[in-house]
Amino acid sequence: MLKTDFLGMKLDNPLIVAAGPWHRDGEGLKASIKAGAGAVVTESIISDTLLDVRPHIASDGQGAQNIRLYSNIQIEGWEREMRIAKSAGGVVIASISGHTPSELAYLASKLEKFGADAIELSVSNPMSEGLEVMASHAETIYEMTRAIVESVNIPVIVKLSQNTTNISKVAKAARSAGCSCVSAINTVRGILQIDLENARPTLSSYGGISGEYIRPLGLASVATILQTVDVPVSGIGGISTGRHALEYIMLGASTIQVGTAVMVGGRPVIGNILKEMESWMKDHKIKSPDEIRGKALKNLKSFDEMKHEPAVSTVTGVACREDCEKCVTCCIYDAVVRDGGTVRVDRNRCMGCGLCTFLCPENKLSLGW
Amino acid sequence: MNIKQIAKAAGVSVATVSRVLNHPENVAPATRERIQKIIDEAEYTPNWFAQGLNFNRTKTLGVIVPHMLTAMYTDIISGIEEVARPKGFITFLCNVERDPKMEREYIGQLIQRRVDGIIIMSSTLEEKYISVIEAEKIPVVLIGENREHGQCNSVTVDCRLGAAEMMAHLIETGHRSIGFLWGNDPQQETTNMLAGYKNILRANGIPINDGRILKTENSIEGGYLGARKMIADEWPDAIFATSDEIAYGAMDALKDSGICIPEDIAVVGFGNNRMSNLVDPKLTTVELPLRKMGIYGARILFDLIEGENDDRTPRQILLQSKLRIRRSCGHKERIEEMF
Repeated sequence: MLKTDFLGMKLDNPLIVAAGPWHRDGEGLKASIKAGAGAVVTESIISDTLLDVRPHIASDGQGAQNIRLYSNIQIEGWEREMRIAKSAGGVVIASISGHTPSELAYLASKLEKFGADAIELSVSNPMSEGLEVMASHAETIYEMTRAIVESVNIPVIVKLSQNTTNISKVAKAARSAGCSCVSAINTVRGILQIDLENARPTLSSYGGISGEYIRPLGLASVATILQTVDVPVSGIGGISTGRHALEYIMLGASTIQVGTAVMVGGRPVIGNILKEMESWMKDHKIKSPDEIRGKALKNLKSFDEMKHEPAVSTVTGVACREDCEKCVTCCIYDAVVRDGGTVRVDRNRCMGCGLCTFLCPENKLSLGW
Repeated sequence: MNIKQIAKAAGVSVATVSRVLNHPENVAPATRERIQKIIDEAEYTPNWFAQGLNFNRTKTLGVIVPHMLTAMYTDIISGIEEVARPKGFITFLCNVERDPKMEREYIGQLIQRRVDGIIIMSSTLEEKYISVIEAEKIPVVLIGENREHGQCNSVTVDCRLGAAEMMAHLIETGHRSIGFLWGNDPQQETTNMLAGYKNILRANGIPINDGRILKTENSIEGGYLGARKMIADEWPDAIFATSDEIAYGAMDALKDSGICIPEDIAVVGFGNNRMSNLVDPKLTTVELPLRKMGIYGARILFDLIEGENDDRTPRQILLQSKLRIRRSCGHKERIEEMF
């Protein structure tokens, strides 16, 4: 049901387990393949391994922050790890990171030789870089992508960052340099929390934020790229349920990538997401993700295209919860008032902002005219 | 145990044990693991000399080091060994004290000893001397620039860009009269840095004053003497040294003259030695990816030794430097720092 053709590769499903420390070696990659992933991406492989700072991963249950996570296995060692990863079959994508086109071309050509099915160029880690991340420079991305594309015969994916003023410009540069696909988004520069008692940030430096916090950013980036550039997109950012995965696909993502959810919840998350996707599709009589891919993108409009309707909030049904005042409290126009066992909307005051329709736990409110 | 005893213990032929050692990919995984376990338990290492005869390899590399006491070269060497050691190679280090004659002699020695490959750092030699090595079918990789050898396998860093970034930073932070302490090595890189220095002055409409460009030796002493000379008449706003060592010397000279860094004169370096984060004030400098240069030098060399670079086009890796903004440049606004 979920079979996906991705860049000429036949995947059992569109769920790719993203680059990250859970894929630090061949065994980790193999475990994700065995757990049902359609494909796997290695932890980012760089020219020279670095000492990890400790601690380097934090989580608050919603999202995670990491500082400096690259493979601590040198490229030479990845010959062995790729062999292990591929010993169970499955599609293995090698993630690489670097600062110049020539070093990236070197890493890519080696990994192709070691059996990688595709290359993902990660140029957007927001850690230990200048305040202007590399991924914000379209020319740099063009040159790096070009060098890699010219040195390998396998698909090249460019992983983009939300830390840029114009993600379409960067995606276009990558596409014109010959990449087969872009993936979006990488982690976003951030600070997870501040420990008030000790006056300390969670981790000792800025890091990449992932998980729940960045899903809206990921969805927007995927949509923006798809509306402006003719390129397949692998959607990444805060996916932990089948519903999240389908949201990305409905915006047009060819595949989706899951990272933090697997890190925090373990590999059973992979099977759960797939089950949830299938079950939703079955309920809606959808036979393949192709049937819904991009359907929601059409409904994402510019301000010019939006219809100006005199819609106001309307209460449907009467059985309202007595312990709930959400719609009343949240109404910035003072249009919702409690009326005995239910609530009433003053149609002259209501400006149709819609907030109460999202907050009502009983779905009693809707916009209409 | 020798290889025959290993074979006997594993119940396989000597050829199979040899394959596990030399071409493990050609042995069935289960067999490979079983034999490897016996090899590990017996702590067996193959006879190096016999292997050399069999494969026409000595498993040795020659590395020509211009000057062992210059910190950057030791970082490069550690990168080379990081790649060479797991492959069972040992490295001959030849310290040539910046002397082209010694460099030629050492190259001759390395050829005679039949090393499997040679890495030359910051070579000052003409192309014909490099050709001598290639004529012996010994792969060569150059680390560092040499205008003479455009067609060699090489690892280089764009030092002109690195210097230009530093100059742009100095000008952005309000310095106009900037002295250039020009160390004599590595020759080509420091010449490129001078070009970067001049370009940025020109781009900002600042006249180039040749009196502000001072040649000196690439050492702490060179930096000390150079800075003394530079402040003899009119002080510059800043001193840009072509190495961190020169910058340390310059800082020492300024302190001895009662000049405050960076309040009176800013000092910046090039290279990012380990000590640069410890001197007072912490030195603003340009980080060179030294270990990475060594790693790539060795990687390209092994590709050549293992016959992977069959298309014969020279493999050239260009790496990038990074501006490390600390305190000695006297900046106040943090807009471009590394985080």
